[in-house]
Amino acid sequence: MHTGKAHKSGLRVVTSHSSLWGRFLQGDRHAFAEIYDAHIDDLFHYGMHFCQDKERVKDCLQDLFQDLWTSRTHLSPDIQHVRYYLISSLRRRLLRALRKDRRCQHRDSWEAFEFEYTLPLENQLIQQETLEAQKRLLQEGLASLTRRQREAIYLRFFQNLNYEEVADVMSMQVDSVYNTISKAISILRKNISLPLLLLLLSK
Amino acid sequence: MATSNYLSYTAREFAMDEGFQEWVLHPERGNVFWETWLRQHPEKNTVIQDARQLVHSIKFRSYTLSGTEKEQLWDAVWNGLGEEEQPATHITAATPWWKQTGKYAAALLLGVLLTTAWWWQFRSPQPVIVSVHTRLGETKKMTLPDSSEVTLNANSRLLYSASPGGKREVWLDGEAFFHVKHTPAHQKFIVHTYDNLNVEVLGTQFNVNNSGKEIVVVLQQGSILLNIGAPADGKTAALYLHPGEMVRYNKLDSDYTKKSVIADNYTSWHTGRLVMDDFTLSDAAAFMQQVFGKTLIVSDTQLLSYKVSGSMPVIYNPDTMMTQLGKVFRMQFNQRGDEVWIRKK
Repeated sequence: MHTGKAHKSGLRVVTSHSSLWGRFLQGDRHAFAEIYDAHIDDLFHYGMHFCQDKERVKDCLQDLFQDLWTSRTHLSPDIQHVRYYLISSLRRRLLRALRKDRRCQHRDSWEAFEFEYTLPLENQLIQQETLEAQKRLLQEGLASLTRRQREAIYLRFFQNLNYEEVADVMSMQVDSVYNTISKAISILRKNISLPLLLLLLSK
Repeated sequence: MATSNYLSYTAREFAMDEGFQEWVLHPERGNVFWETWLRQHPEKNTVIQDARQLVHSIKFRSYTLSGTEKEQLWDAVWNGLGEEEQPATHITAATPWWKQTGKYAAALLLGVLLTTAWWWQFRSPQPVIVSVHTRLGETKKMTLPDSSEVTLNANSRLLYSASPGGKREVWLDGEAFFHVKHTPAHQKFIVHTYDNLNVEVLGTQFNVNNSGKEIVVVLQQGSILLNIGAPADGKTAALYLHPGEMVRYNKLDSDYTKKSVIADNYTSWHTGRLVMDDFTLSDAAAFMQQVFGKTLIVSDTQLLSYKVSGSMPVIYNPDTMMTQLGKVFRMQFNQRGDEVWIRKK
């Protein structure tokens, strides 16, 4: 990546995450705080999409970070993708917590990992009605995806895990992650591309 | 990545490609491969835009913790840890001190010797020097040896130098967003601008834009001290900035003004977004000039004061950026080499 060039000319530019992780493993509390700051928003977002129970998500997050600190001496120094590690750990905790108590698993009016359609360029120029119509079409199309499939899409597109990591977190085959995302993109293509392109061309 | 077969890709296939998704979802990381590829195959622009649209349309409902909630949660994590952390300190208190003295003296002597040896070795410390630069249409995010983070905007150059225990200094040409880490030794971090202005900090987040006729410093978090003026003629001023304050310094007449602004509007580029709050066409022109080296030319100077508000992702491809700005301003952008002619639609 970009740091490569600096390396070649004998300069030291450290990549942010691996060194942060190294300092954390050595017991640096500032590094721990930085890891918390860097990941708490995304982890909370994932937790809420997973079970919608804010208190439970917060409890799991507290346990997750406490265990992370106390077990740091046993953690691998090679963890490259801290986010991936934290997400899979949070997922296991949430599953465990939910298995004990099934109450919050199904709430009305809530779909786990629900998609939300936002303006493509976010420039607020597209009319509200067109937007509503597209949103409805999209929701109908995506209703045919299962919860697990939506979660896989979420992990790839929102949390930026690669196909392999998504497969790992969810104990799926890489192929099925790929197929799931392919299916979602087909639905999107069918439902939004055409009207949206027309709209953009007509401007 | 194999280049050849991308030529036969449909929008759907592009949207499925991990590298492509990465490029679309994280423009701030500036993917050279895709930018070059698109430049080499301009005929693929439509397909690419189509695929880009697909990737962008996958969005999820947002859930956020407030700042207070995050702090409370952090405190809960920390307090939970306190109990098992403290007892580890006094374990050796059982043996009387005099029996231990010899051992301690030996340890102390060894410690002194080691420290002296270490001191001799590093008596004339070598400063760590790092130099980084970006080309037009490219940004870089990096961590400096002191673990401060810097995002360098396009067409900029940064030189970093620090001697162990001494001050940390950078020389900036262009624009950069700094997230300076406080060090246990309270080392100063100084940003020099090749002009009579420098910024002094301990640990904080701020933006310095030294790419045009002015130097613009915006503080996002913490506090900084600006030293303005040439020490030679004795006219120096020291200015403390609070979060959300901006100082504009004119390089020609050394005049400066200070005012309160929405810091995000000036710093959001480092997260890959252009926040446009009463953003005029002349602001857009400054942006295109700074980031892509393109000069915007208008048929009617009144157009320059046209304003829009909103936000959009910064895409490090001049053509895409131009198309987007054209749509936002509802104007026609025609490119001729490094010039862009703008007409009202």
